[in-house]
Amino acid sequence: MSDSSRSDGTSSRFFSEERDAWLLGVLRLAISALLFFNGLRLILELQQGGYFANYFHMPILPEHWLPGEAGYGFLLGLQALAALCAFVGIFPREALLLGSTLGIYFLLCDRLQFHNNRYALLLLALLLAFSPCDRSFLLVRGRSHTLPHEERVAPTFARRLFQIQVSLVYLGSAGGKLLDADWRGGQVLFLRFAQAPQFWAEHGVPLPAWAIALVTSTWFASLAAKTAILSELFIALGMWLPKTRRLSLWLGVVFHISIELSARVELFSWLMIASYLAFVVPELRERRFEFAAGHARAEWLARLVRWFDWCARFDQRPLSQASPDGPSWFVSNREGQRASGTLGLARLAECIPLLFPLWLPLALVAKLSAKPR
Amino acid sequence: MPRSLLDLSPRLRPALFCAYLATQLAVLIGAQKSPDRVFGFQMFNASSKLKISLFRKVQRRGHSRLVAIRADGTWESKDRSGTRHSYRWQDRVHYGPLSTLGQFVHASYGLDAQLFRLQFALRDVVQHLPADDETLALIAEVDTLENGREGAHVRLQADRP
Repeated sequence: MSDSSRSDGTSSRFFSEERDAWLLGVLRLAISALLFFNGLRLILELQQGGYFANYFHMPILPEHWLPGEAGYGFLLGLQALAALCAFVGIFPREALLLGSTLGIYFLLCDRLQFHNNRYALLLLALLLAFSPCDRSFLLVRGRSHTLPHEERVAPTFARRLFQIQVSLVYLGSAGGKLLDADWRGGQVLFLRFAQAPQFWAEHGVPLPAWAIALVTSTWFASLAAKTAILSELFIALGMWLPKTRRLSLWLGVVFHISIELSARVELFSWLMIASYLAFVVPELRERRFEFAAGHARAEWLARLVRWFDWCARFDQRPLSQASPDGPSWFVSNREGQRASGTLGLARLAECIPLLFPLWLPLALVAKLSAKPR
Repeated sequence: MPRSLLDLSPRLRPALFCAYLATQLAVLIGAQKSPDRVFGFQMFNASSKLKISLFRKVQRRGHSRLVAIRADGTWESKDRSGTRHSYRWQDRVHYGPLSTLGQFVHASYGLDAQLFRLQFALRDVVQHLPADDETLALIAEVDTLENGREGAHVRLQADRP
């Protein structure tokens, strides 16, 4: 086969790739909720601070393209309504397109309102509109909110574009820091960390002397800066490789939790964590959770899996033959390898979004405590 | 399942893909040239600070001279008939980093971004002084701290049209 025909085949496969769109419905719920809150904040700003064009503003568009005060209020309401429609499943894709386009228009109306997290949200909502995210969680349909599997399988090339956009956010951010000598040298973080002792003391948690010495040292800030840049590069690229995906997503979640705790970044952390759903393998229930019926702890765990398995990773079933001395539950991975105890918990945490931050510590404990054969 | 208008035909998918990526890359590269890097995904701020002191250039007895604007951003000026009017910088400039005068504040998105925006803010305010017959120009003297180090002292001016 010639190189050109091989690349034609690859590109054709790329654009005609059809996968289960169930998870895209979950992603739509998350993105449209964030889009709604973003719109709600603009409405509150309008109510409290007044119409932005009545005072100093910096339009990127020509001034005469800006809406009037009443028109702006109307468009904000329309954007919130579109986000709500996308959430409940009334023309969800068209609603996402409308809501995101209006949001980008608002950013172009006044660059003072521009924030990278808002822009990223709008781009991701725009791209999601081109994916078949309307085949599950159409909440207005009540119990039949999700289509059967055959109807959910659809072309998902826009999911790839969504993934590329997520990587671009990290690459842009890491690139900016890498090119800035103060950032990569640690000076920027040093100044931020220097405020930490006062911040924690004001919040009633005075830091011990060793912690103050650590966070106010230049070597620590320098190390933290390099770690942050490398982390972002690893998140941007690692998500594309099956072998590194899990670790890069875990690092991303921890990275965003730490940002959320230490800085005010509006919806950014939530947005990026939600966007990781696009990197989850679309096929459902390829793993198995088995539990002994009548065993209190196993049934409690089964309930937890049922409630929080938002990515539908597990096919849940009772153990056919539970040994009275053996484990009361098992988790099987895609390869069919069964595990219980700490390794089993690690495999649960790997797949359950709320427990995902615990995956690596649990997996490490399981690895270290495994008996050598 | 009814088809959505956004279900693109196989021929249109590569077109959207290429158009989107080309636009994104162009915007990303273009943003690096803009002082505030809007659309550039520079997610984390620098730790720079700026302190803005405002002055008015006024015409009195045939001479022009500089008069400091109070730290709360207010000043008074006469119109042609001699009636005094009060003005306030913050009546026009609501934007956080530029609305605080006389003290160091965090320069979100970096010093270049805020100095770029301050120039536009001066121009905006000076164009909205309808009854101020004395002010010829607004001048901002800006002290900067660039990531903890003493930075340049910058003077920006916007003349009355």
